[in-house]
Amino acid sequence: MTVQHTGTAGQDLERIDGVAKVRGLAPYAYEHQVDNPLYLHPLQATISRGRIETIDTTQAQAAPGVVAVMTHLDAPRLAGTDDAELAILQSPAVGFRGQFIGAVLAETPEAARAAAALVRVEYTEEPHEAELRADRDDLYAPEQVNAGFPTDTRDGDPESAIAAAQVVVDQTYTTPFEHNNPMEPHTTVAQWVGDELVLHDSTQGVHPVRQTLAPVFGIAPEKIRVIAPNVGGGFGSKGVPHAHVVLTAMAAQRSNGRPVKYALTRQQMFFLAGYRTPTIQHVRLGADASGQLSGIIHDVIEQTSRIKEFAEQTAVPARMMYAAENRATSHRVAKLDVPVPSWMRAPGECPGMFGPEVAMDELAEACGIDPIELRVLNEPDIDPESGKPFASRHLVECLREGARRFGWADRDPQPRSRLVDGWYTGTGVASSTYPARRQTGNTARIRHDRAGRYSVQIGAVDIGTGAWTALTQIAAEALGCNAADIDLQIGDTDFPVATVAGGSTGTTSWGAAIIAAAQAFRDRHGDQPAVGAHAEGEAGENPAAQEYALHSFGAQFAEVQVHADTGEIRVSRMLGVFSAGRIINPRTARSQFLGGMTMGLGMALHENSVMDPRFGMIVNHDFAEYHIPTNADVRDMEAVWLDEVDEHAGKLGARGIGEIGIVGAAAAIANAAYHATGIRVRDLPLTADRFLA
Amino acid sequence: MTGSMHPTATDAATTAVTVNGSEMSVAEVAPHTTTLQWLRGSGITGPKEGCAEGECGACAVMVARPGGDGGTRWTSINSCLVPAAALAGQEIYTAEGLASSEALHPVQQEMAMRGGSQCGFCTPGFVCSMAAEYYRKDRSGCACGEAGCGTAPTTSDIVSAARVVPSGNELPWSLAVDDDARPLAPGLPPRTAVDPPARTEPATRYESTPGHEPETGPNGFDLHALSGNLCRCTGYRPIRDAAFALGDVDPRDPLAQRRDRPAPASRPLRLGSPGSAFVRPADLDEALGLLAETPDAVLLAGSTDWGVELTIKHRRAPLTIAIDQLDELRRFHVSDDHVEIGAGLTITEVERHLDGSVPLLAELFPLFASQLIRNAATIGGNLGTGSPIGDTAPALLALDAGLVLASSRGERTIALADYFTGYRKSVRTADEIIKSVVIPMPVLPLGRFYKVAKRKFDDISSVAVAIAARVTDGEVAEIRVGVGGAAATTIRARETEAFLRGKPWTAETFEAAAEIMRVEGTPMSDHRASARYRSATLAQSIRRFHEEVAS
Repeated sequence: MTVQHTGTAGQDLERIDGVAKVRGLAPYAYEHQVDNPLYLHPLQATISRGRIETIDTTQAQAAPGVVAVMTHLDAPRLAGTDDAELAILQSPAVGFRGQFIGAVLAETPEAARAAAALVRVEYTEEPHEAELRADRDDLYAPEQVNAGFPTDTRDGDPESAIAAAQVVVDQTYTTPFEHNNPMEPHTTVAQWVGDELVLHDSTQGVHPVRQTLAPVFGIAPEKIRVIAPNVGGGFGSKGVPHAHVVLTAMAAQRSNGRPVKYALTRQQMFFLAGYRTPTIQHVRLGADASGQLSGIIHDVIEQTSRIKEFAEQTAVPARMMYAAENRATSHRVAKLDVPVPSWMRAPGECPGMFGPEVAMDELAEACGIDPIELRVLNEPDIDPESGKPFASRHLVECLREGARRFGWADRDPQPRSRLVDGWYTGTGVASSTYPARRQTGNTARIRHDRAGRYSVQIGAVDIGTGAWTALTQIAAEALGCNAADIDLQIGDTDFPVATVAGGSTGTTSWGAAIIAAAQAFRDRHGDQPAVGAHAEGEAGENPAAQEYALHSFGAQFAEVQVHADTGEIRVSRMLGVFSAGRIINPRTARSQFLGGMTMGLGMALHENSVMDPRFGMIVNHDFAEYHIPTNADVRDMEAVWLDEVDEHAGKLGARGIGEIGIVGAAAAIANAAYHATGIRVRDLPLTADRFLA
Repeated sequence: MTGSMHPTATDAATTAVTVNGSEMSVAEVAPHTTTLQWLRGSGITGPKEGCAEGECGACAVMVARPGGDGGTRWTSINSCLVPAAALAGQEIYTAEGLASSEALHPVQQEMAMRGGSQCGFCTPGFVCSMAAEYYRKDRSGCACGEAGCGTAPTTSDIVSAARVVPSGNELPWSLAVDDDARPLAPGLPPRTAVDPPARTEPATRYESTPGHEPETGPNGFDLHALSGNLCRCTGYRPIRDAAFALGDVDPRDPLAQRRDRPAPASRPLRLGSPGSAFVRPADLDEALGLLAETPDAVLLAGSTDWGVELTIKHRRAPLTIAIDQLDELRRFHVSDDHVEIGAGLTITEVERHLDGSVPLLAELFPLFASQLIRNAATIGGNLGTGSPIGDTAPALLALDAGLVLASSRGERTIALADYFTGYRKSVRTADEIIKSVVIPMPVLPLGRFYKVAKRKFDDISSVAVAIAARVTDGEVAEIRVGVGGAAATTIRARETEAFLRGKPWTAETFEAAAEIMRVEGTPMSDHRASARYRSATLAQSIRRFHEEVAS
């Protein structure tokens, strides 16, 4: 045979996994057939800080169907306890309300749950702190923030620049405490087979789960197999294994070899599966009368749990977004007796672009210029942070294209001047950005299974992003065959090592490995590969990252209606224009952008986990009270993208698209709400009561 | 059959649920087991648990319900809320059953093709809700808006419109630009930012008038059908594209044909064991007898409230009495001086029966929870739970409705205004069942229903206000105002009413009334709304009523 280049990447291919999913036949973690399973129901702490004095499991042990009850008194000892989130049941200490303190294993879920209610626990409570406030005296500077960024940065003398500026914006903005809430609750099915642990897990990375758990259980990573062919969303919360994976695997050590199944309830997810920290952002901008920025200061206060540090990199985008000679950013963190925060879609950029992008809107008004023109005016020639040239920075094109499509030219800048049928109407804009990174440590394997058919293996995971389809297209293009000739195999640690589906790095990082493997395959086997021929390839670093700053950009536009009588707010239109490098599959990409924008709409209007600091309790810990957008909240929404290939983003030319859609969306909506009502709300979510003058 | 406390399973036909065309027995299923738990435990794992409280719709299934025309209406419900025993004798479909082994169902076809499924976890539920609407008999029209046509914009049209292609400088979609079998050598054309290219116009896409997104597709698809299904991935647009692209139903489709035959008849049933029993009584008398013997029995109608007690609070009942299919509770009667609505009719059924004849209720129904909930929740249940934020009570108060309460001692009629006595408390005694709701006719000519919630649909009211009035000779002759969310019970805004009665129909009158309305009830602050906001919206509702009606 002759391998032909067919160019399947970039094609508008239907989702490969779509048919099984619409039939209801695609298996998720809980649904894999296992023999004779036991079911786990957890015991959770009902205090926010303190220690367990007594825990009486007598009744539970005797309850019908119960096989084992496990507490800190008798749970298996873990080999690695450095990660306090994962080191559960190792001591009587309680670090936050809802923390695992034990588990019941039973023959049915009903029996496990009924027995769990019979366990009696007595605690000694210690005073707890669960409220994030800017005036706390125990805020501290972490050594670094998430993803290894420096905690503070400083260029020039921003305080003096702002003091001398003709126009100043000096405001505080807050973003909400948010929960990822993928539709599939976190699920683990664990079984020990001899000294090997097999996990069906709802995860964003099978190899990362293995690598995290191996030291916890004191076994070699190769002794853990993780399987995840279909995952019902993650948005970051499944990016690292949380404590339920450890709990289930521990329980499986007490099950006489039987598999143990555990799916978190939606309620449990609010305490045990990560979340986005609330942030308090003090933004100061100084500019001349024309709007030219001279100083930017972005000081962020956020929370972590006392038992484990997770410091969101909220101020990072302010370091590179606009040209101002004098810039300073900082992060200060409160350690609270609250659940452990983690990644949520566009960590850093998503909350971190809210304050500055609303501040830019305020600056535009103060200077009397259009908010798009203000951004264009402050467009940097090179990355202000690193001093490197941008590999590709098309923010201005995104803004201009969006303005054209959205009808921005007709906009009357006067706020509160359009009342139609009882609704104040306004429009707003904000910039979006997200870094383009490639993760190293990805390997793919290609094998010529039978004439004209190629299996492509890599431990990647499709959490709904479209990886099944996009990686198939990339493989077909790299090998020069049709997508139908590719048998992609992902979601299993039996396949070559892969990094997490996170940070918008999946397609680009795994894709680079697949291209490397295809290259090796073709180099070794030529155009007429024998059946059985195979090759592996590993993707290294993107060398261009040394020379260039790699970021995606976008422009978010929103039209908002606020009811004059009730303050109810609706987003009637949204448009996102994105520059994200090459788009591998326009159909799946469109959904990714729209989904990100919709999650940004949720952040703007609804999403807010309400902490009752008296009890360290998240009050609205379910879907009835923690609202994500419904179909009816999403009206006329469209996403478009610049047709481009980033020549510095590796052979694929793509920069990743999973997160940029959410960034800036909430700011655009808040800016539109101001334009509609003349009421500047600097705190999310934008609830109706804020607009009743 | 008597009111024995030791019910036993009856014959196989009675205890079977027809799932995707095959009979499955619920004879051994505990009364607290939800349909979702039962299906998934039986290997039918298309329906998913996303919340276990009827908020997300990942568990939705299609049930064959009476169509009101002697036939059957495919109806989607949340399987996480309904005990499996309550579906004995019924027919249901899950996503797995809609496709044949070879071909996808048209709904599945559109969802797959248009990217309506991403992570896929919500997809089987969306498929069932969408299929139920697809089969709605009075839905008509093709996706193009022309009856019998069958063309809709393809997803390729839609996504190709999303590309912004630099004109005259079109980049190849492929890394490899020729068919030479050389090794991978992308040879990417350079692209710089210094020369922003002109943009081409997008191709025709599925587009609505800005700001006026249609809630009904050109194919007659009512988007409310999907209001109880949450998706976290797609942003809903591809799902909407799929819904609005559906064509006409193929008359040879067996599920379409099923609509012309009656829904399964109700059959009496006894399941479970003493202390954990499920009974579907043969008639109201039997139900009342059972209730008199077992005052702590749970009455099950739509199970949208009890289902949450089962799953979230893990409550268990010694006896569950299913009253949703009792003939006596499912009657709808119109006479010159009243409408009598059987308490066991679902909100969806009441809406269909009334067909807009009570405008105040017609305004309310689309705002009541979600379609999935309305398809199960009954009007009697909404009153029976006594929640101060149930949405029917304010409207029925404004309509001066009464309730017929039945017990083995007889029947009595009580004004709804006298029904609620405290938070989730009422004058209904433990042995009474709400039999019907009676609305005096004709209703007052002016009516408005205002619901303020954090989210437009699929949400609990922060405040709900229903106002009914008659204006005669420029004066407010009659007015009734029902208010939810402002006190421990739904209330009448008596002081506001008293102030307005006999006053001139002017903005000034209503401005003054608004200040009285502001202090009606005892609103509290919670995470849904502050007390101040609740009071403000009460006041605004009175002003708004005058403004809207006057204009």
